[in-house]
Amino acid sequence: MTWVVALNTFREAVRDRVLYNLIFFALLMIAAAVLVGQISIGIEHLVIVNLGLTAISIFGLVMAIFIGVGLVYKEIDKRTLYALLARPLRRRQFLVGKYAGLLLTLAVNTALMTLGLAVALFYVSRTFVRSDLSILVAVYFILLKLALVTALALLFSCFSTPMLSTVFTLGLYLAGTFSTDIRSFGEVTESPALGAVTKFLYYLLPNFNNFNAIAAAAYGRQIPLILVAQNTAYAAIYITLVLLAAAAIFSNRDLK
Amino acid sequence: MKQSGRKRNIWAAALGIPLLLAAAYPLQRRIDARVRTVQQEKDELMLRSGRVLKKLSLGYDSLLADIYWTRAVQYYGGKRRDHDPNFELLAPLLDLTTTLDPHLLVAYKFGAIFLAEPPPKGAGRPDLAVNLIRRAIMNNPENWRLWADLGFIYYWDMKDYKKAAEAYMEGSRRPGARDWMKVMAAKIAEEGGSRQTSRFLWDQVYRSTEDPNIRKNAFEHLQSLKAEEDAERLEEFAARFRRRFGRFPASARELVEAGILPGVPLDPAGYSYVLTPDGKAHLNPSSPVTSDVLKPVLPH
Repeated sequence: MTWVVALNTFREAVRDRVLYNLIFFALLMIAAAVLVGQISIGIEHLVIVNLGLTAISIFGLVMAIFIGVGLVYKEIDKRTLYALLARPLRRRQFLVGKYAGLLLTLAVNTALMTLGLAVALFYVSRTFVRSDLSILVAVYFILLKLALVTALALLFSCFSTPMLSTVFTLGLYLAGTFSTDIRSFGEVTESPALGAVTKFLYYLLPNFNNFNAIAAAAYGRQIPLILVAQNTAYAAIYITLVLLAAAAIFSNRDLK
Repeated sequence: MKQSGRKRNIWAAALGIPLLLAAAYPLQRRIDARVRTVQQEKDELMLRSGRVLKKLSLGYDSLLADIYWTRAVQYYGGKRRDHDPNFELLAPLLDLTTTLDPHLLVAYKFGAIFLAEPPPKGAGRPDLAVNLIRRAIMNNPENWRLWADLGFIYYWDMKDYKKAAEAYMEGSRRPGARDWMKVMAAKIAEEGGSRQTSRFLWDQVYRSTEDPNIRKNAFEHLQSLKAEEDAERLEEFAARFRRRFGRFPASARELVEAGILPGVPLDPAGYSYVLTPDGKAHLNPSSPVTSDVLKPVLPH
């Protein structure tokens, strides 16, 4: 039943022309590939990788947040949830199904954008080198980040309106992105109390900085496999944690 | 939904969330250790033009200046914490900050200190500090204290006593300037880089600043000057001892026993100085007093 919900969520996203963003991405890559070579020297590869990975990340984030915050709310608002829950489907199964559906949409979208990036890269470099493999790892890290953001958006959509959920998700995403700076701030001030608070926040907030490998990929730096495993485990732990909280909240919500 | 299902979900969350957070903690520590090698952030400043940034700020240039100033402080603090002597982004960051807000005096004042301090405490670029303060003066011509800051950099960091005296004199002509600015100009012109002038200068800094970090720095310099003066005198007494006994004293106590000194001299932190067999005085390694001239030596 969970997979039925997931596939329906994916189909719905495709029907809503969500994947149209791919056209913008393709245009962006073509323009960058053609223009960079004419206005700059020696950084074509660097710009294409930086721009491509950044675009994959931003487009994915916009999708994860804006679709994620409406996942539950829309079903309640349109009253389609009641028909679904009348079937042998638990609320947590519904949530997991919705989450998996959006994740599938994001994965397809990311895969197609990666393909576009590869084409643009081949256009400017005329070849692929071994170090380009780190681009795939960077894409995988972006996907992990998107999976975590989607879980957060889903959590907020269980108890709040889409607008507030967007603010909460975006806020948490920004806080998680700057968590390293938050900790450094505490260290620089040399105040033990502030240091303890910032350290606590650092480990409590989802650390989105872990998934930032765009610069490493652009410079062709190798990303160790152990880090890939660690980041995967970290994302899995945090996603499970957030989905547990979402299930607890959603199962207690009065839908009448 | 069934009551048992709800309860199960709540229990799962209540037990699972703390457990998962506890699992995430050691994992994050491991990732921290590894992620540095991958991210190896090269210091970068994408936009170096303050004028472009000012336009892009859409009128929020003052707030953006505050953000850039905070970034400059974090950058400087981070470099010092990591003992990294490369401060290459400091000057551009300060330039951006002060272009966005030309009246942000704190950025000029502290920025100049960060730039002028010799490594590892700072960038060791007093020339850039002078440029920064000169821009500050251009944008804030009524502020006499900026002339004092300029004079200070010329005097202490560049040892250019002529320019230092000129800066203090120029500042003394600004409205509201304190009398000691003229005294300072005269003293530097007359004595150059004497210890007495230095002490007077640091004393003024110590008395006039409201910032605890600057006061602490001035206090340390005053302590250092006092220790250098003590050491010089101690070496004179050691030379006198040698003339009388044909050898240098083994310690300051021997000078007391010979009746040359009334008591064992202590540095400003209360530690006795160390005399080496060649009659030179040094700081005790346990002493918190630091000096560029006196190196700490273990008592023999």
